[in-house]
Amino acid sequence: MTEYALELAGIRRHFPVRDALGRPRGAVRAVDGVSLRVAPGEVLAIVGESGCGKSTLGRLALRLLEPDDGQVQVLGQEWTTLSPRALRAARRDAQMIFQDPFASLDPRMTVAAAIEEPLILHTKLSRAERAKRVAELLARVGLRPETAVRYPHEFSGGQRQRIAIARAIASNPRIVIGDEPVSALDVSVQAQVLNLLMDLIREMELAFILISHDLGVVRHVAGRVAVMYLGRIVEEGPAAEIFAAPAHPYTRALLAAVPGQGHIQAEPIQGEMPSPIAPPSGCRFHTRCPYAVARCSVDSPELLGAAHKVACHLAGELPAAAPFAEAHTGGERLSRLAAHFHREEA
Amino acid sequence: MLSVERLSVTFETARGPLRAVDDVSFSLAPGRTVALVGESGCGKSVTSLAIMGLLPESARIGGGLTFEGRDLLALSPRERRKLAGGTLAMVFQEPMTSLNPAFTAGEQVAEALRVHEGLDHPTALKRAIEMLDRVRIPEPARRAAQYPHQLSGGMRQRVMIAMALACKPKLLIADEPTTALDVTVQAQILSLLAELKRETGTAILLVTHDLGVVADHADEVVVMYAGRVAETAPVEALFARPEHPYAIGLMGAAPRFATPGGRLASIAGTVPDLMAPPPGCRFAPRCPFGDERCAEQPPMAPLGQGHAAACWVAPIA
Repeated sequence: MTEYALELAGIRRHFPVRDALGRPRGAVRAVDGVSLRVAPGEVLAIVGESGCGKSTLGRLALRLLEPDDGQVQVLGQEWTTLSPRALRAARRDAQMIFQDPFASLDPRMTVAAAIEEPLILHTKLSRAERAKRVAELLARVGLRPETAVRYPHEFSGGQRQRIAIARAIASNPRIVIGDEPVSALDVSVQAQVLNLLMDLIREMELAFILISHDLGVVRHVAGRVAVMYLGRIVEEGPAAEIFAAPAHPYTRALLAAVPGQGHIQAEPIQGEMPSPIAPPSGCRFHTRCPYAVARCSVDSPELLGAAHKVACHLAGELPAAAPFAEAHTGGERLSRLAAHFHREEA
Repeated sequence: MLSVERLSVTFETARGPLRAVDDVSFSLAPGRTVALVGESGCGKSVTSLAIMGLLPESARIGGGLTFEGRDLLALSPRERRKLAGGTLAMVFQEPMTSLNPAFTAGEQVAEALRVHEGLDHPTALKRAIEMLDRVRIPEPARRAAQYPHQLSGGMRQRVMIAMALACKPKLLIADEPTTALDVTVQAQILSLLAELKRETGTAILLVTHDLGVVADHADEVVVMYAGRVAETAPVEALFARPEHPYAIGLMGAAPRFATPGGRLASIAGTVPDLMAPPPGCRFAPRCPFGDERCAEQPPMAPLGQGHAAACWVAPIA
């Protein structure tokens, strides 16, 4: 019996860096010892800023990149040691959606061919059955049947993302990883794609990993949140708890920086994330942390806790954090009026 | 200070004329921030480029643009250039494309000071380093000697702001100034802009798609849709009570403003083709509130206290 859809244990990946003459000059420590579990039907968001390693982690989780160290288990099956051939077959269970569907869709393939490809790869369906399934998938993601014979460039960003979603769910996967799946879309289109993703997660009981820098989107969809900084998880827990009472100083800084909380931040956290080639000693956040003590520059804190985990020497001793200020200022009237748009959708 | 009156911008394209901005009016007072908000293609950036005088010559501009009592559209190209980068300054989304890769950060800020303040080279460079310090660039003297590609995105945006401020502008146009930046860096840049506005009294025209940024930083908001103004309002009024159905849809679609976990407003259909916009209200084909009146273009209906919406149905209960 498998409890988790996806389990990562101690995943590490460093990219060697060379100087202009090709001599090794250290390594980008992109992901440096990450463990995570995702249950069926659960939405886990991995958040953090550019260069924190969240996208690399997503690729490692599906072995689109090979980890240097650590284990990947999908539906209880050890993926780390699978042969390339076995891995290709196993991929029917775990699929990925990228930020830019244009880059992930072959421009010379019709929409039907793009969606049919995973069916050829992963199912024994006949040609006629596949055509039927493609039609069902198109309808499921809200695209018209005549879409099938057209090419990706003929579509808008939102429609292309729907095509990528249809392709990702074609093999009936149990796990989908979305790497910034709505970041390139305008707000109104983003809403349509988010509604679709949330419906699919519910209907298919998908384990969904949302890799995102957009905390508004994360607040809306995620049940659990993991915050990454320089290749490590600094805090992980139920989304509601993290937003109400962020424990790690970096999570606090990140949440406080989200616009729309009704005021201009007088003293936002200063500096930028240091280079992952030479991450700070001890706690990697200590160079920017307003609470850091001597110990933080020496000892690397472990990620500790039960449901809500924090990697901070001062966890529990810090002053209470300001909760994330929700911005739904339009209140009941806005919800009621906005609901008129749902009827249009149906 | 700035008055935009019935501004229209038309581009000649291979398929015929395209009116990117149509009948847009708003004004901006000293020390205030007006946000132009809307989605891709709504005309917000074209409006700001028209004010800056940065549109290609082929663009046909109609209506009026008045800045400090001067008719901008009547100025010669030379007078216009003198104004742009002086009392009128602009910061763009991607500073990499607006900074010259062949010159150091310090030289570029110094160049702005030389042109607009007539400083000699050594004085300008010294002042440039002070400006970089002012926009909170750590180790400004060292950074001044670096080229744009050696700086992070946030740092480059600070250099752009330093260049803009070097000329003590009365109006700063910030077109998606933080869209390409990470959230903590975005907070730093926005806080810097707010501080500079407080100190210098410069007015800001903030062009953005981000309703959260609008809510925190704008005094007044102009919501644009398909080249036209849908709604204008003081910021509190807009967020407490959006009146134009597009503004309602946009806010209901934004996860930050919708109820958490609930269904996001999904505006059916797509933005109209500006080559052949629908007659009447441009939002009508997607609007769940419309009726037969919407076949005609609605005027801006005043809703009190500076709040107005281009909608026959507004105010909506």
